[in-house]
Parts: sequence; structure tokens; C-alpha cells
Amino acid sequence: MKTVRELLQDADPLQDEPVWPTEERDLRRQAVLAAASGLHSRVEGRSKSRIAVFSTVAVAAIFALLLVFRVWSPFVRDVQAAVHFEVRLAEDHPGPGLREAKVAGSERSIYLHDEIIVDNGDIAEARVVRQEGASQYVISMEFKPSGAEKMQAATGNHIGKPIAILIDGKVVMAPLVRTPIDASAVISDDFTKAQAERIVKGMRIQ
Amino acid sequence: MNGKSIARALPVISASGPVERLESLFDMHHNRLYRLARRLAAGTDDALDLVQETFLKAARFPSSIPTGTANEEAWLVRVLINIRRDQWRKKSVRDRHDGVRDRRSDLATEGRDPEATLVAKSAVWQALDVLPPRRRAIVVMYELEGMTIPSIAALLGISAITVRWHLSVGRRDLARELKAYMGESNENR
Repeated sequence: MKTVRELLQDADPLQDEPVWPTEERDLRRQAVLAAASGLHSRVEGRSKSRIAVFSTVAVAAIFALLLVFRVWSPFVRDVQAAVHFEVRLAEDHPGPGLREAKVAGSERSIYLHDEIIVDNGDIAEARVVRQEGASQYVISMEFKPSGAEKMQAATGNHIGKPIAILIDGKVVMAPLVRTPIDASAVISDDFTKAQAERIVKGMRIQ
Repeated sequence: MNGKSIARALPVISASGPVERLESLFDMHHNRLYRLARRLAAGTDDALDLVQETFLKAARFPSSIPTGTANEEAWLVRVLINIRRDQWRKKSVRDRHDGVRDRRSDLATEGRDPEATLVAKSAVWQALDVLPPRRRAIVVMYELEGMTIPSIAALLGISAITVRWHLSVGRRDLARELKAYMGESNENR
């Protein structure tokens, strides 16, 4: 005479199977991360997924590289003709002289330093670039020499900490500084061409 | 403009945004979700799809995910169960429409040979398929994962009384469906 629990334990598939087939785990992981990067790939099956994952990984790598700065899409809809752009150093924890700010589109809080590293006046060039193999657009920026120098000096001593990208006073993204930033940067999100052009135009106005 | 290429800028920083959060969520919770998914779904591929779909939902709604490991796990488990529930409902409607015949009674009488164990397993899985996914998840977490009733209640965001009720009804339904196997040594032979 068996109990329900014993029958369930006897029939438990995890008794004989690996918890996660490693290859499948990697495929699914890549597909999920690619989707999060703006792609919507889906692993349909083992044979198809192998082909899909190579293209997914390649495109995801491009996205990851382009994801230097990110502007939250709903905010973009509110962008007016003039856009005030700022970059400030930030911390993950509160401290003296720091101001708390929420990162748009998330519950995350960061703590801003007062000093503005660069703003519109430090932008030498901003242009809209189409993502390779995708329908989204990114904004590529080149800083003036003075701006590049300020960025490099500020971020060189801020490795591993967040840097805040503000547009019209709102923190639209707070990426971590991996290596010092100097002359160039990219703002990347699921921009339509019109949205990206509006921001670029707004940056040039000031 | 100094004419530097866009590639010049690319490696300098990477974002600590939704993608990185999702990466962290996946690495931290995928095993736990797969264990549950595998016990809720019919096969490995279905379980993998279920886990993937859960994380895709997380990718689409990053601001909905609470902070803290326990809260993240609870959110993901609930999403997974909801996705499974939707699949289960669609399948139920499809099966009714297609007139799928219930084979449990047939299977119970087939268990007289060396394949009896496999047949019994199959019967258990078919019996589990009858349970609504949330109830099935509660039965699985209690009977197979060894979770306590309060911890299941906390994970699913429901009261302990509700968990006990689901557990009781689930066990009763399974016992009814698997009656032949529970007493196979005496009654079936």
C-alpha cells in the first residue's frame, strides 16, 4: 500500500534527470538576455535554437556594447524641443552632500554628487545611428576635448561605481563605470528614429 | 566633431540596468524555477519553455520585480505558476473540444508486467495534470520539495489556511485518481 507522497516521489522526474541540461540552460539564458536587450528571440527547439543562439549572441553582444547609456522610453515621449543633458558621478549608498534620485523606470535609488561633469555645452556632436540588424536607433555622442578631459578625470577615479545620465533633471540611466570614459558615449534604448532625432535636436539647441 | 568612430565609445562602460538585473535574476533563480517547472510541466522542453517564459515576462516588466532575493523568488514563482495556469486552461479547453479520452482507468489495469512502474508513473503524471497549476504547485512544494505550509504561504502570497485547503483537496483528488495504485499489492492483483 503506497501513500500519495510515495507515488509522487516514485514518479518524480528529477530523480533521474539533470536539474538543468547545461547546453539548454545557456541557450535559454542567452535568449532571455537578448530579449531584455530589446530583441525578442525565442528558443523554439533544440535544432533551431542552436542556429538562433549564434545570431542571438552576436546581436546581444552588439547591444551590450552599445548599451553605454540608456534612456527610458516612456520618458522620451516627454522630451520637448530643448533637452538638457548632464552627467554626474553617483553612489549606491547615501552620504554627506549626496542627493537621492530614482532611476527612471525602476525602483532603484542612487545618490548624486552635486558637481556636473559634462552637460550640453560639452557635446561636440550628437547623431542618430541605426542599430545594425535591428529597427532601433541609438544616439552617438562625441564630447569636446574639454568635456572628454573632464569625463576621463572624473570617471578614472570612479571605477565600479555608478555614473548618472540626466536628461531634463531626471536620471534616465545609471550605468557602472568599468573603465574611464573620454571622448565618446552612446545612449541606447529602443528608440524609434523620430524619438532619437528629437533628443539629438534638443541637445543641440542648448 | 573629432570624427572618432562609434566603436571608440563602446567598451567604456556597461549598464547596470534591466539587462544586468535580469542576468543576475536568471543566475540566482533558474535552478529553483526549473525544479518547480519540471514538476508542473509534462516534459523537459515544456519546463524549459516555462522557465524561459517566466524570465521573458521579467524582461518585459522589470519595474514590477521586487527587490531582495526572497521577494524576487516569490515574484518569479507566482509568474511561473500563472503562466502554467494559462497553458493548463487552454489545454483543458482544447482537450474538451477534441474529445480527448481519459486513459487513467485503462492505465490502471495495465500495470501487471515489468512496465508497471512506468505505467504507474504515467498515471501519477496524468493525475497531477488534473490539478489546477497552483494546487499542483502547492502539492509539489509540500510533498516533493519538503517545504512547510507557512513557507509556501509566504512564497505564494496567500494564507496558510488556503495552502492547507489546496493541499487537502489536491491530496484527495490524487488519492481518488490513483486509488488503484495506492492499493495495487492487494486490490489490483
